[in-house]
Amino acid sequence: MALSTHTTTSGFLLPSIHSAPPFFTQQPHPTSLSIATDQWIQIILKYARHRRLFTIRVQDAETPGNVWDEILRNERINRKLLPSYLSYIFTQMVSRKVAAYDPPKQDRSILIYWRLPEEWAEVLYEWVSSTANMNTIMTFYEITDPPIESPLSALPIPLLRQAIAILAKSNRAQIIAIAEGEGVRFFPTTIKA
Amino acid sequence: MALQKYSKFVDGTIPIQALLYDDEELISSQDGVGIYDGLQKSPQHQSGTIHVTSQRLFYIDSAKRASRSFYLELSYVSRTEHYAGLFTSSAKVTLYLSSDSSGPEASSHSGLEIWECEVCGYRNPPGLSPSAARICGLCGVPRSLPAKDAPSNAGIPELNAASVLPSSASTSALSSTLQEPHLVACEACTFLNPPSRNTCEICATPLPKAAGDTALEAKSAPTTRPASPGFDHDDNGSRMLKLSFRKGGDKVFYAALKRSLKAQAWEIAPANASNDGGRLGISGIMQVVETNAQNRDTNMSNALQDLEALMIKAKDMVRLAADLNERLTASSTITANNPYSSTSLLSSTSTEPEEATFIRSSLSQLGLQMENTPVTLDMMKDEREWMEQLARELANVLQGSEKPNLPSSSSGGMMKERGIIALDEVWGGWNRARGVALIPPSTFLQVIPYIPTFTNPTITSRTLNSGLAVLHTPPYSRAAFAARVCGLLALAGPKSTTEIAQEEGMTISLTAEMLDIVEEDGDICRDDGRSVIQENQGDVVVVGEVNWWANLFLGYTWDGQV
Repeated sequence: MALSTHTTTSGFLLPSIHSAPPFFTQQPHPTSLSIATDQWIQIILKYARHRRLFTIRVQDAETPGNVWDEILRNERINRKLLPSYLSYIFTQMVSRKVAAYDPPKQDRSILIYWRLPEEWAEVLYEWVSSTANMNTIMTFYEITDPPIESPLSALPIPLLRQAIAILAKSNRAQIIAIAEGEGVRFFPTTIKA
Repeated sequence: MALQKYSKFVDGTIPIQALLYDDEELISSQDGVGIYDGLQKSPQHQSGTIHVTSQRLFYIDSAKRASRSFYLELSYVSRTEHYAGLFTSSAKVTLYLSSDSSGPEASSHSGLEIWECEVCGYRNPPGLSPSAARICGLCGVPRSLPAKDAPSNAGIPELNAASVLPSSASTSALSSTLQEPHLVACEACTFLNPPSRNTCEICATPLPKAAGDTALEAKSAPTTRPASPGFDHDDNGSRMLKLSFRKGGDKVFYAALKRSLKAQAWEIAPANASNDGGRLGISGIMQVVETNAQNRDTNMSNALQDLEALMIKAKDMVRLAADLNERLTASSTITANNPYSSTSLLSSTSTEPEEATFIRSSLSQLGLQMENTPVTLDMMKDEREWMEQLARELANVLQGSEKPNLPSSSSGGMMKERGIIALDEVWGGWNRARGVALIPPSTFLQVIPYIPTFTNPTITSRTLNSGLAVLHTPPYSRAAFAARVCGLLALAGPKSTTEIAQEEGMTISLTAEMLDIVEEDGDICRDDGRSVIQENQGDVVVVGEVNWWANLFLGYTWDGQV
């Protein structure tokens, strides 16, 4: 039975294995399971990047009608991913550091790192320099919801904090307490003698 | 007072176990005990441990073990009394002591010396109680002291009671007169026998009674006499001893004491000696040996006679058995000669009359083994052969026999059409085929390893993950089954467990187990029915079963969105 790739309505190209029914079952055999889980993690990361999604919850597999339907369900072969398997995939993603539980200390929803925090830090720094906001104090809101669509639009605050923390380590940013809450100031790269 | 008269000093520093005679037994102990000598407290014995043995009562003083400990022979005790105690008065046990000891008085033979039996020359070891030490341990002849050693008390140990009293003059006079009647001359051979014997030691002629009686009379006369006058005018207090239990434990101790007194261990040894009087001495020993030899002879000749009679009959029996067996075979083939399949095996054996099977097994138990009878353990010489014979029989049940004339061969065998079969079914089928002398499961399991040797194609056993054990032919081995399932899935696409079970002709549960093992090897993967999208919640939810796929994960590479 030949399996084929499929393009979803949102334009995402699903791999051929997504149309194989066993893919939706948590395999007892360890090798099969690890291969299947690898593929699932790839699909989730790539789909999240494709749709600019940052969180996925176990509930998304439990009830239909959400943004993850296209990958968690396959109407063509009448299969859906079981919540228990999705939960297992979460633990694997967290242990591989491509996701983190958000909020922490629970395992029902995760924050997906389709870009790693280090990558986000670089993206943030580039955006700040390209928009000439160096040395000015910016609020988190100004960064995540700029008037002009940016790569950082809708970035979750926890992820933004991590990115700023990484920049702060190399003296390129500083968290400042301002009237409305917290702000951040970015510094141009200084080459210290 | 009583304490002085009856007790004997003992060194209390020696552990109690070492103080006992070899045939004495420690029964109970209690500490915190004081002694009343008569009605008065004995000031020197107010705190100590008291031990009761089968023969004696020990008092070990807790303060001055070496100097104040003593023991008392229980044979002196005539009566006991128990007082439970009241307020500050502690519980007491009163021992009334008899003036004349009923037990044998043999203090002159202290148990601690080696003595040589004058009859058999056996050197008796020390350490026995006085009563037991009076008799030679080897030949059972009572000990009598040689006259030259101690003429004053030769042959009359009872006289030693007199040593308490200053009457040595009278005893020595008595003993000298006793010297002569002490030995009894045999009427037949004139041998001088000791007075304890009723028959002559040399020729076993009965000895004249009169001589023995007079000797005994003369002997018993002085025993009571020297002892009695000393005690007669004593008051009651001089003949009793009180044990005061300051720390309790009186009840348990009193019960033990009573038991010990009742058993009268000091009486047992002499009683035995007198009962076995006929077996005393050299002639007695020789008599026993002779009787044993005679008995052995009679048994042997009886056995040989039986064997001879059996040998005469054996030929007839063999002929009869062969004849009987032929008839049975003929009748059973008539009743069961329809074309056989695996199911008709069971019916054919059940139609065979039970009597026939019973007769056959009886015959084989007699060693008259016929070809088509169930193998039983009695037929076999050793365990291994027994197992091999059983395995051969089981192989016949499973696959049918090669020999065409046997009833079991007429059926196809249980595994003729089935490649795999659960062990419990095999066991049941086999025992049904045997009919008699059923095989217990333990033996059945022992036979299993022998099966491959006797089957063609080889039948081996295998235990599945659930613990279910099966017998199977080569096509159902782990590798072969996996290969076949993979081939099927590759050719015909995904299959459910039921479909595979149908294909293989196995039960669904067995198939599920087998598939689990194949999955363990990673050759197939599953598609769980629970993953099916069930949109219409109102309907009855049917949980789909597992569908099996060839493992499509192995070697898969990403072909989705870059």
